Order: sequence, then structure tokens, then C-alpha cells
Amino acid sequence: MPEATEGTATLPAAEEQAVPKSQGRSDGAKPRSLWSDAWRDLRRNPLFVASAVLILLLLVMTAFPSLFTDASPRDGNLQGAFLKDPEYGKVFSAEWLGYDGQGRSIWARLVYGARASVIVGVVVTAAVTLFGGLVGMLAGYFGGWLDSLLSRLTDIFAGIPFLLGAMVVLTSFDVRSVWVVSAALVFLGWTQIARVMRGSVISCKQADYVVAAKALGAGTGRILLRHILPNAVAPVIVVATIALGGYISAEATLSYLGIGLADPVVSWGIDVSAGKDQLRNAPHVLLFPALMVSITVLAFIMLGDAVRNALDPKLR
Amino acid sequence: MRGVARARWVVCALSVALVASGCGGGGSSGGSGVVRASWGDPQNQLEPANTNEVQGGKVLDMIFRGLKRYDPRSGAAENMLADKIETSDQQNFTVTVKDGWTFSNGEKITSKSFVDAWNYAALVDNKQKNASFFAYVDGYDKVHPTSGTATAKTLSGLSVKDDRTFTVKLRTKFSTWPDTLGYVAYAPLPAAFFENHAAWLKKPVGNGPYLVDSYDKGSSMKLSKWDAYPGPDKAQNSGVELRVYTDNNTAYTDLQAGNLDLVDDIPSAQLKNVKNDLGDRYINQPAGIIQTLAFPMYDPAWSKSGLEKVRRGLSMAINRDQITDQIYRKTRTPATDWTSPALGDKGGYKAGLCGDACKYDATAAKKLIQDGGGLPGGRITLTSNVDTGSHRVWMDAVCNSINNALGNDRACTVNPIGTFADFRAQTTEQRMTNPFRSGWQMDYPLIQNFLQPLYYTDASSNYGKFSDPKFDNLVDEANAESSADKANAKFQDAEKILAEQMPAIPLWYQNGSAGYSERLSDVTLNPFSVPVYEQIKVG
Repeated sequence: MPEATEGTATLPAAEEQAVPKSQGRSDGAKPRSLWSDAWRDLRRNPLFVASAVLILLLLVMTAFPSLFTDASPRDGNLQGAFLKDPEYGKVFSAEWLGYDGQGRSIWARLVYGARASVIVGVVVTAAVTLFGGLVGMLAGYFGGWLDSLLSRLTDIFAGIPFLLGAMVVLTSFDVRSVWVVSAALVFLGWTQIARVMRGSVISCKQADYVVAAKALGAGTGRILLRHILPNAVAPVIVVATIALGGYISAEATLSYLGIGLADPVVSWGIDVSAGKDQLRNAPHVLLFPALMVSITVLAFIMLGDAVRNALDPKLR
Repeated sequence: MRGVARARWVVCALSVALVASGCGGGGSSGGSGVVRASWGDPQNQLEPANTNEVQGGKVLDMIFRGLKRYDPRSGAAENMLADKIETSDQQNFTVTVKDGWTFSNGEKITSKSFVDAWNYAALVDNKQKNASFFAYVDGYDKVHPTSGTATAKTLSGLSVKDDRTFTVKLRTKFSTWPDTLGYVAYAPLPAAFFENHAAWLKKPVGNGPYLVDSYDKGSSMKLSKWDAYPGPDKAQNSGVELRVYTDNNTAYTDLQAGNLDLVDDIPSAQLKNVKNDLGDRYINQPAGIIQTLAFPMYDPAWSKSGLEKVRRGLSMAINRDQITDQIYRKTRTPATDWTSPALGDKGGYKAGLCGDACKYDATAAKKLIQDGGGLPGGRITLTSNVDTGSHRVWMDAVCNSINNALGNDRACTVNPIGTFADFRAQTTEQRMTNPFRSGWQMDYPLIQNFLQPLYYTDASSNYGKFSDPKFDNLVDEANAESSADKANAKFQDAEKILAEQMPAIPLWYQNGSAGYSERLSDVTLNPFSVPVYEQIKVG
């Protein structure tokens, strides 16, 4: 934790941060919220900068794959390019990273494969955060029978082994598009967020500013959205960012096992699976898609780590 | 909290069970003299007349001996339990059973053992997959009507004369009928099969050189040598452990690691290394196997008139040479008909019967498919199991070839199915709506076996439900011919109808390939590409 000395200056718990915020406003000085503090920290964190650049690159790849390669990821040439070795000198050309067992350019497949991974990662994280966050917030704020009900529901879903459950769900679909795989991951993945959110909301709702807002006659909706959500969401964002990398690797795992994405979707997991049989003759077929999965997952996990460091002052 | 405590108990019980079964499962392998060979789960329970796939067939071939047996080297049908099979008119046969044979439970094998088994196989109530092999016998239409219930329990064409002789009356003349009798569907069955069927299924009793000791579905089957086996081809090892693999690459790795002795399906990705790895412990020889892509003709989307153009077009869109050269490194040969060169001229093989329809021509293919109204639904999927034969790789390549020809990289996709048994279930239940792999390993080395069971109306392995009266007529006529040459010519004419209708696209003729460990010697493959287990010596 490189920022340890700096961090001690800020206040120790999230909910107390709101107090100086309101004070700041009455003083007329520029308020320093949790978020602006975090952003200031993040910008100085080389881990964050590196991962952000990587992720930006991946996003561009997802949106405009043709910027990176002219070759088609599905166009195979068995006769001329079967398992052809990489030509590292020709950077970014179709033959740069060699060809796979169907004579397809591995570089092209890497570039086009980014789309599936990034879409699955982002869609699942967004959906999980929305749904899990809602469940957690309702359970945490209202408590009582609703909490019991939602918490038990969360427990039930958390009890289903993630990969095994995803396999069972996915095998019942004939066409497994990006959306189907995402849905399966959301179906099983929302529980973690729900638990984090519930805990966070419970600790927030006893805070003085919530009690004050209640005393002033604020409605439930206003309290939840204006007072609790902004103060309870930080840990959720941290968990979600780290989980994003996990979802990408879950997609690759499922595709590797043959029950995730399926042709004609281009996916790194499928390519790793096809490459494993050729490991002895043409290791590059396995190596590059596997490397790509690693780099992507690493980038998101690094980002999550950096965000956590910035948002959770206890860690400083 | 009480719930938590209870849950912990369950976990403990479970882990004890796991440890216990773990010990039972893994410990006893590799006993001296036992051949450890790769295998896949059979589709059904191991009844001889209900097994028409390769994996179950391997076991039945070890635990049963029929009237005839195909020579492991030449494939010629030779008498095994049959003393003689005589006929004067190619329609009425008198079979004499050899003396001195028994089942492994001691029961004597008589002519009744055969007649009862065949009647059981043919009777519609018993739902045996190979029932149609008895369609040649007189009275089959009574015991196995195409609809409704059976009006007779036994085949009128079979009658027991005495303990050692029975007669068979066929519906029509069928000169080469005795040569089909080496197929496992014609095996004799002991009384125990009928008296306590469930117990028999659990532990099949046969009359072959091996006994079934145990079978764990998804894991392995253990067979041991039957010491009192009366036949001439006694097992030269003390037993065989057939291990289930769901990926032939794993099996190959296990062979290299010394955990397995025999792999009878070398993965395509290892073909480049196999000579280096195994030296002369690698077998690669022609076999009576053809791989085809069958169309679900029961689906009007594929069978309506005009679609034969699409089917032929798809065949022409497949660059067989490239795939067999690059992916299979010439262990497959591009197919030019629906049979196999392993038959030889005598068996009825004639190259090129498929004509232009099996030659790669992308432009002609595209035009044909367009003329025929395009692909049904605009796109197709290919389905196969992917645990054996490196099927995933060729399916991808065939799809690429079709996509390239059509200029549409989403026209063809693959649908890999994890296990052979599951794939078989889906095809036999006619759940396919798109082309699916139909590999055919011959049952006996006659051209008839490559055509009739696969493309004759309602035949046992006609999973696409192709039906063409002209084809059926030619097959009937061919069977009635008195000489093999004349019969072969008729069968070849029937193949020309397949070339027009293209109910299945011939892909390639497959070689038998196998590799074995240093522990083994005398390993050979028969013309069906099945290892001759009983000849293998260990140590």
C-alpha cells in the first residue's frame, strides 16, 4: 500500500465521510467527497493507469476490430496455412501470430474474440450490480420478513456451485449466444453483490444523517437513493470491478468446456480448447488466446484492486 | 445453527463415501496379464441383437461367437460354431452346429440356442435394433409388422430339426446370406437370457473367449479370460480392462504415460508425432469404415423435391482432399462412393460411383445450392459426437469449406456432442434437424452391408429415414442374384441412385489406427478396425 501515509489523513469509515461533505457545503469551501478523493488517488496509481490503458485498448478492439486487422477470423485456409508458425517480424499482420488448425489467422481471432469476452464481462457485471444491488438494498433497508425472504433466496442461489450451475443452465440451450451465456452467469452470479450491498446498507441506515433525513420527513425513496445508495455503493463497485475479470474467465472456461459460447461466435475459450490438442505440434495455437484471456482478466482485476485501494480507506 | 451442524454431517458422510469409492475405483488396475484398452460407453445394454454401434460391438465380439467368424486378417467368413451350412437353392439353408460348444455357465449350445435368439431378436415386442437383419427370414412380416402388433411369436422360416441342426427358409433368394452370419446379431443366447433377463443384462453370459466381470458406466468394463473356452481362438492374455475415455487425446496421453496399453483411435492432432512416439507400435491400415454426413430425410425441410440439388451441392462444397491431407495426414482417403475399398473388387467396391457429386467444385456447389432453393432456413449445423475420431476438427473444416464455397462465413456451424452414447441416442430418436455424422463400420465384408442397413426403407441403421422405391428394388434384385458378381453389379446400380438423391454425403474412407504400449505384443486390427483382443500377449 504505497499511499499509506497520505491515506491516514482521511476519515476512517465511509458513512462519516458524508459529514464533512455537508459541512463543506455550508462553509463554502470546495467539498472533498469520497469520490473525488478516490479519483485523485487513482490517477496517481500506476497500477490503475496500466490497467486502464489495457482496458481502453480492449474496448476499442471490441468496438472496431477492423482497425487492428484486415483478416477475417472465420476464413480458414487449410491448404496454405494449416498450423503455420508465427512470423513475429510482421507485427499486426494476419500471419503475425501464426495460424490455427483450420488455417485461420490467430491474430484476427484474438482481435475479434475480444468482443465476446468484453461484452459478457460488462453485461454480466452491469446486470449483476443492478439486480444484486437492488435485492441487497431492499433486504438491508427494510429488514424483517423481506430481509429473511431475500437473504434466504440469496443463500439458495449462492449455494449452487457457480460453474456447475452455469453448465446445467447452458446445456439446456441449443443456441448459445453472448446473451444466453451472460444470462446464465447473471442468474448465478448476483448473490455476492446482494450480500455486500445488504451489509453495506445495514451499516449505513443507522448513520446519523439517515436518522436526520428521516426526522426531517424524507420519503423512503429519497432516503434510499439520495442518502443510502451513494454511501453504500463503494464496496459494491469494488466487488463488481474485481468480479468483472472473473466473469470473463468464467466465459472462457465455459467456452473451453464446449458449453459456453459456440460457433460462429469467436471466443478465446473456444480457441484455447481447440489449441490444446495441438500443443505439441503448434503451441502458439494455444498460447496466444490463453495469454489474451490472462491479460484481460489481469487488467480488470488490477483495476478492481486499484479502485478498492482508493475507495476503502481502511486498507490504506 | 442446528442446520449448519447437520450440513456438516452430510459433508462428512459424503467425503467418506468419496474416499471409499475412490479406493475401489482406482486401485486394482494394471494387474499382470491384463490389457488396458481405450473404450467408450455403449449406447444400450449389451444384447447382441440390440447393439449396432462400435463400442458395444467390441465387447460382444469378445463374449460371443456365432456360426461364422470373420478372419481377423482377411475378413473372410469362416465357420466357427457352424459345422456346415448347406443349400441347394440359395433360399433354404440347413445349418449344422458343431458339437462341444457351451456357454460360459455350462449350458450346451444347440440349434435351439440360435433359433430362440433369432426369434427373440426378430419379435417386434422386444424392440431390438438389429431386428431387420432377420427380415430375410420367412415369416418376418408376421413377427415384426411395420405397424400394429405381431401375429406370430416365432419366425416361420426357422425350425429346429434336432440338437445340432436347424433349417432356415428365406423370403427370397440370398446367395451370400451365410456370409452375414458372423455378425453379432446372429449370436446364440443361453436359456438364462430368457429366464432372468435383468440378471443377464447385469452380467452377460456368452460363449466367447472372455467373461464380463464388471461394468461401471462411464468408467470401465473388466473382462477376464474364460479358461474353459472351447473354441480355437483362446485368449492369450488374462483379461481386458476397457476404459472409458471421453477424449481420445487423453487416451493417447495415458498411453504415453504408461497408464494404458492400447488406444484404437489415434487423435488427429497426434498423427504427426505418432511414429516418433510409438515407432512400430503404431498400426495404420485400411479398414471397412466410411464416414458420411447423413441428412434427416424425415424432415420435409430436407426431403422435399428439389432439395437433392442442395444436398449434392453441399457434397461438392466439401474439399475432401484438403481435409484428409492436412488434418488427417492421409489416414483417411476421400470417398468416391458409399462403401469401402476394404471390400475389394470381390466384395463389390467400385471407385467413383458418386461421380462429380463427390468432387470439390466451389462454384458448381454454390450454383446447385441456389438452384435447389438455398439451404433450409438459410443455414445448417453439423452434428457429431466429439469424444472419438477427432470429429470436431473435421466438422470445423467441412463447415469452413462450405462457408468458403458459399461466400458466407455463418452458413455452416458445428454442434459438437460430448459422448458417443448421447449422440447415438439423439440420432436414433430422430432428433436431428440438420446433417449429422453417420460413420459406418461394416458388419461383414459385403457391399450389401454398406447399402441395405443404411439406405433401404426403414432399415436398422437408416437414421435419416431415406426411402426410395427404385433403390429398394435394386437391393431386392441384387440379393436374389445367384452369383456374387451379378449381385455386386446390382448393388452398384443402387449406389448410382444414392449419387442422384444424396441422402448422405460420402466424406472419406477411414483407416484403422491404433497404438500400444511396450507391454503388449501381437496386437492387430481386424478389417473392421477393432483390435483382435484375444490374440494380444502381455509382458
